[in-house]
Amino acid sequence: MNKHEDAPVQIQLNWFLRFFGNERWQFATIPLLAIAASLIAITAIVGAMGVNPLNVFITFLQGAGWILKPAYAGGYGMFSDLSNTLTFFTPMLLAALGVTIAFRGGLFNIGISGQMLIAGFLASVIVGYSGLTAWVAKPLVLLIGVVAGAAVGGLIGFLKYRFNINEVVASIMLNYILQYSVSYFINTRFLDQISRQSKVVSPASMLVLSSVKLGGVNVSVPLVFLLAIALAIALQFFLKKTRLGYEIKAVGANRRAAEYAGIRVPRTIMLTMMISGGFAGLAGVSYYLGYLNCIQPGKLTSLGFDSIATALLGAAHPIGAIASSFLITTLNTGSTYMSSMMGVRAEIAQLVTGMILLFSACSAFFRWRIAVAKQRAEMRAAGTVAPGAEDA
Amino acid sequence: MSGLNTIVINGLALALPLLIIAIGGIFSERSGIINLALEGLLGFGAFCGALFAYAAVTWHWFPANSLTPMYLSFVVAALGGAAFAVIHALLCVKLRANQVISGVVINILSLAATGFLTSQINMTVFGGPSSKFDLTVAPRYTVSLLAKIPIIGAAFARFYAFEVLIVVLVAIFWFILYRTRFGIHLRAAGDNPQALDAAGIEVTRVRFVAVLISGGLAGIGGMCFAYSIFGSFSSAVYAGYGFLAIAALIFGNWKIMPTLAACLLFGFAQSGANQLVLWLRMDSSVGDLAMIVPYALTLILLAFFSKHNRAPRSLGEIYDSSKR
Repeated sequence: MNKHEDAPVQIQLNWFLRFFGNERWQFATIPLLAIAASLIAITAIVGAMGVNPLNVFITFLQGAGWILKPAYAGGYGMFSDLSNTLTFFTPMLLAALGVTIAFRGGLFNIGISGQMLIAGFLASVIVGYSGLTAWVAKPLVLLIGVVAGAAVGGLIGFLKYRFNINEVVASIMLNYILQYSVSYFINTRFLDQISRQSKVVSPASMLVLSSVKLGGVNVSVPLVFLLAIALAIALQFFLKKTRLGYEIKAVGANRRAAEYAGIRVPRTIMLTMMISGGFAGLAGVSYYLGYLNCIQPGKLTSLGFDSIATALLGAAHPIGAIASSFLITTLNTGSTYMSSMMGVRAEIAQLVTGMILLFSACSAFFRWRIAVAKQRAEMRAAGTVAPGAEDA
Repeated sequence: MSGLNTIVINGLALALPLLIIAIGGIFSERSGIINLALEGLLGFGAFCGALFAYAAVTWHWFPANSLTPMYLSFVVAALGGAAFAVIHALLCVKLRANQVISGVVINILSLAATGFLTSQINMTVFGGPSSKFDLTVAPRYTVSLLAKIPIIGAAFARFYAFEVLIVVLVAIFWFILYRTRFGIHLRAAGDNPQALDAAGIEVTRVRFVAVLISGGLAGIGGMCFAYSIFGSFSSAVYAGYGFLAIAALIFGNWKIMPTLAACLLFGFAQSGANQLVLWLRMDSSVGDLAMIVPYALTLILLAFFSKHNRAPRSLGEIYDSSKR
């Protein structure tokens, strides 16, 4: 291969290879390929059910507040729906960032849901049920979220390097332990007898300003929306430009090589999981004290698992996570309206997510096929098609 | 019936389905394919089996009160689980996907697809809005002569028919893994695929079959839970038993007999903790704390035993015949 590099030949690649073959942009173009493939699959499924697929996609967007619905109830408008979407977007992005950093460090944090739950629960108990004023309460909620999440993440990292317990197994066990213990405490001390959920937290502790009037319609303002976006950008900078970020990536790429390079692997694993858990904790408080204002005992939020999908779709790239969070959030919040208008079950939103993920999981294969096709085109251009290259 | 007997009876009813799922996981992982998809596979298998049994009962394919639909549903569940496992096998063996990611994808897809299909099929085929297929709880049997033996006798009291099926299957699959040519090939595919390739065996084919087996066994396990704990199929079947099975097989060091011990421990811990709550006449909310026991116990025991664990050497690696 290298021989050809110093003698550049005029290569005529077709549009497909030119678009998807550019490695610099593959982090964006390959997910686009996955999304396109899944949209085609869903179009086929919905079409087979006798529903117009275009209307399904439009009602998704209308339900999520990106485009106008034909009619609104009094006091509600497009911005009510959009603000709801952004309120859901905030924990989704934060959780996806938690998955992303773990992924880059070669770890798989499947315990996001449990970390979110314990962070949300502790923040509710310590701040949500106290009479603290907003200026003290809100930063304190964020702080508790980060600390609680990071503590659980750190515990998983500790179990991994000290006792060689697979982080996937440890996170799953901790998910159950946290789920049942939080359920116990809510049921015995903090239960609202009517709603069968935990008592509602004080508005001062919430990370969302609810029922704000904007141009005559009710909107809720997610206070940490911009913080989440800023953190995504900061995480990208951290991974690219800082020493610890580099070490995390090195451990993720090849643990043995990182060890020989003098990186303290156990410490790095621990820190990776703590950062990941910290993001999950932030996601937890912005979910349970933001999108919601109480906790349902005995349940983990599906958002924690969806965030894995979001991070994968974002190609384990913090900026990619912003884009994919918008997509997955839209599917989630738009599904109810879509379902009521089109008569298609709301579960199809999950199915779309699953399909996108399925095709994203093949991204390594796409990348490999594209590389092979490109190489073959280059060789053909140079007139040196290797014998037997066709079965590569 | 004494409480001690209840612990044994309920413990076995949980441990045995868990074991068959875990053996599915062992087959996949010993061949070198990480299988986090067990949860999704057991769910999809149970969905297929439950759909069959529900349709058979609703449309009277068999005489009333016949147990045939139940027995056949286990076959359908195994086929359904294996069919869904094709996705995992394709992704991991042929399409070079990250095996952990593929497993998670299968789980999400399975939950979404069965949830969607259950509602949709109930609405369009059976004509009623429902998100589950109702089954009966399987009948229980007692061998009265053996059941009189103290303590061990409880193993022969009030057992489900599928528990017998599982014991037979465990023996068969133990034999396949350790005593047949295919079993040797399978274990070699996970430990030294290059050597297997050099011996003229196709690694990808062995792995493909192994993943299909894991899907089939997981499907059977899922069907057991649908017929015992839940008495129906709904998304509640995705209660994390697939992940527990993974914990059990890692705990069992990827070997069948130690995994059996892990599953029994888990089953008895769960039923024992529940029984304790009853005995001490504690508030039902304490049941939440009892639920923690098996998970906490697993975690603590893993801390003691994981140091000496050795996963199959090529677990999680995409097979590349040019690598040596």
